[in-house]
Amino acid sequence: MSTKVTINRLATGVPGLDEVLGGGLPEFSFNLIAGPPGCGKTTLAHQMMFALATPERPALFFTVLGEPPLKMLRYQQQFDFFDDAAINRSIRYINLADDTLAGDLDEVLRRIVSEVEAHSPSLVFVDSFRSVVLASQTQHNPNNNLPQFIQQLGMLMTTWQATTFLIGEYFTETDTNPIFTVADGLIWLRQSVERNSMVRKMEIMKMRGQPTLPGLHTFRIATSGVKVFPPAAVNRLVEAPSTFPITRLKMGVPALDEMLGGGLPRGYSLLVAGPSGSGKSILAATFLAEGARNGETGVIAAFEQRPNHSQNPQLAELIKSGKVGLVDSRAPDLSIDEIVQLLLGEISRLNATRVVIDSLSGFELALAPTFRADFRESLSRMVTALTAVGVSVLMTSELEDRYTDLRFSPYGTAFLTDAIIVQRYIEVQSRLLRIMAVVKVRASAHSDQLRQYHIDDNGLQIRDMLPEQEGLLGGHPTRQVSAKTKHV
Amino acid sequence: MPTLSEESRRIVASLAHRVGPQADTASIAAAVVSILQDVGAALAPIIGQQGVAALYRRSFHLCVSTHPRLAATYDRVPAAMDLIALKSVLVEQNETDALFFGEVLLTTLYELLTTLIGPSLTARLLVGVWQPSSSDTSSQEISP
Repeated sequence: MSTKVTINRLATGVPGLDEVLGGGLPEFSFNLIAGPPGCGKTTLAHQMMFALATPERPALFFTVLGEPPLKMLRYQQQFDFFDDAAINRSIRYINLADDTLAGDLDEVLRRIVSEVEAHSPSLVFVDSFRSVVLASQTQHNPNNNLPQFIQQLGMLMTTWQATTFLIGEYFTETDTNPIFTVADGLIWLRQSVERNSMVRKMEIMKMRGQPTLPGLHTFRIATSGVKVFPPAAVNRLVEAPSTFPITRLKMGVPALDEMLGGGLPRGYSLLVAGPSGSGKSILAATFLAEGARNGETGVIAAFEQRPNHSQNPQLAELIKSGKVGLVDSRAPDLSIDEIVQLLLGEISRLNATRVVIDSLSGFELALAPTFRADFRESLSRMVTALTAVGVSVLMTSELEDRYTDLRFSPYGTAFLTDAIIVQRYIEVQSRLLRIMAVVKVRASAHSDQLRQYHIDDNGLQIRDMLPEQEGLLGGHPTRQVSAKTKHV
Repeated sequence: MPTLSEESRRIVASLAHRVGPQADTASIAAAVVSILQDVGAALAPIIGQQGVAALYRRSFHLCVSTHPRLAATYDRVPAAMDLIALKSVLVEQNETDALFFGEVLLTTLYELLTTLIGPSLTARLLVGVWQPSSSDTSSQEISP
C-alpha cells in the first residue's frame, strides 16, 4: 500500500482548463488568479465555483473592495453557469468592504477565519485580493505585515481543508510579491492586443505537485463562460495503426488515383496547391463525396470569405445530409488550437475519416494577427494533431503561378504533408489549359506525369499528357521538334 | 417563479401580517422598520452595509418622486438609512398614509433590486423576509 498522500484533483468545470492544469485542480491548494482588469478573472472564479460547490461542499465568496457585489451578481448572471438556486445554499457571498476599509489586515484575517469556521467551506474565493493589499498599504498600521498575513491565510485555509482562490489585478509577474511565493498555483490571464485584434491567453505559471501544460493557452469568454483551448495532446493520442499493405482512399477521380499509385494512402496528409480557379475546392469536395459514397464521413473547415456563395452544391448536400461536418467558425481572432479543437470535436462526433481544410490561405486570414508569425509551426501542429487521430487530410493552398520556379506552398510547409498535388495554368495555342502533377507521395510509388485536366459539370476530368509540348512548367510550352525534322 | 405583482401582493400581505390586528400607526411604523431591518440583514452580508444603504436611499427617492404628495412629509427624513428617523415620521401619519408609504417603499425597494440582479435572485435572497412571523433571517438558510 502506498503511504504517500493522494491529492484529489477537482474537475474545474471549465472546458480545457483541467487539461492545461495537468489533470484538474489540486484539492486544498491555495491559488492566485491574476491578470489585468477585464481579462476574465472573476468569471473564471465564478465558473469554477458554480461547477464545484454543492450543499455538502459549499463555497464562500468574499467580496472586498473590487467590483461592487450588486454589479458582480448582475453581470455574472448573464453566464449560463450561474444558478441562482445555489446562492445561500451551496454558495454564500460575504462582503468584507467595511473590514477592509479600516485597512487592518489582522481584522480582515479574523473576519475570513470566523466565516470559514462558521460555514466550513470546501472552496474559498477572495475578490479582489489586491484591494486588501492596497488598503493595508494606505494605512499607517504598525500591525500590518503582508507576508505574514498571506502566509497565515494560506496555512489556515489549507488546514481548514478549503481550496482557495485569491483573485487580484496584477500586471507584471516579475514583481517580487509574497503571494507569488506562498501560492501553490498561479493562473495568469492576459489579453494580447494587436491592431484591432484581441486574444485572451492563459498561463499556468505554477501549480505545485503536477505537470501543467507550459506556455500560453488561448481562451474565449462566451455566454457559456470561459473555454480554454489546450494544444492537442498529440503524444497522448493513440497513433493510428499502420496497416500493411497500405490501404488507399479513392479520390473520386479515377485517373488521379492512378497517378497517386492507387489512391491516397489512408492517414496521409495531402496538399493540393494551385492558382485561383484551378479546381482545388472542387477536388476537395470530390474527395469528401467519394468518402460519403463509400460510407465514410468527413469534416470540412471552410475559411472562404463568403462560404454560401462559393459552396459547391455537391458539398452543400453532403453537409445537409450530415455526412460531412462543417467547421465554419465566424469567430474573430481565431487561434490554431481553437480550430484544432473544433475539428477534433467534429471528427469525434461524426467518427470522420476524411478532413478537408479549404484553404490554408483563408485559414491564415482567419487567424488573429498575433498567431500569424507562427503560422508555419501552427500548421505543423495542426497536421500532426489531425493525422494522429488517424484521419486523412486534404488541404488546399492558393499558389500564385510563378514560372521561374516550382513552388508548392507559400508557407514553406510542403515538407509537412505526406503527399502533394500541384496544379498550374499553361498557355497552348492561345488557350489557357490546366495541368496537374503528383509531386510527392511519401513511401509510395506515384506517377511523374504532367496531365492536362479540365473542369465540367461532372467535376474534374483528367486527360492525357501533352507529349508534344515541352517547358510546361515555364508556363509557355513550346512544341517539341521531332528528331526527323531536325535531320531535315 | 412569482411575478413582480405577485411579489408586491406578498410584500403587502407580509406587512399586514406584521402590523397585526391592531393597525395603529405605531404598529405600522414598527412593522415597516422591522421588514427593512430584515431586508438589510439578508442583503448586508452579501452587498455590504453601504450597498444596503444605497438601495434604501434610491428606493426612498423613487417613492417620493413617483408620489409627489409624499414629498412634503418625507422630505425631512434623512437621506442616510436612519430607521429611527423614518419610524418617528411614520408614527405622526394617520394609519392609511403610513401603511401606504410602507407598502410603496418596500415594493419599490424590491423592484429596484429586481432591476439590478433579476427577479429570480432577488426572490432567492429575500425569501426569508416575507415569511410570516419571520424576523429571523436564518430560517432562509439551508444547512449544508
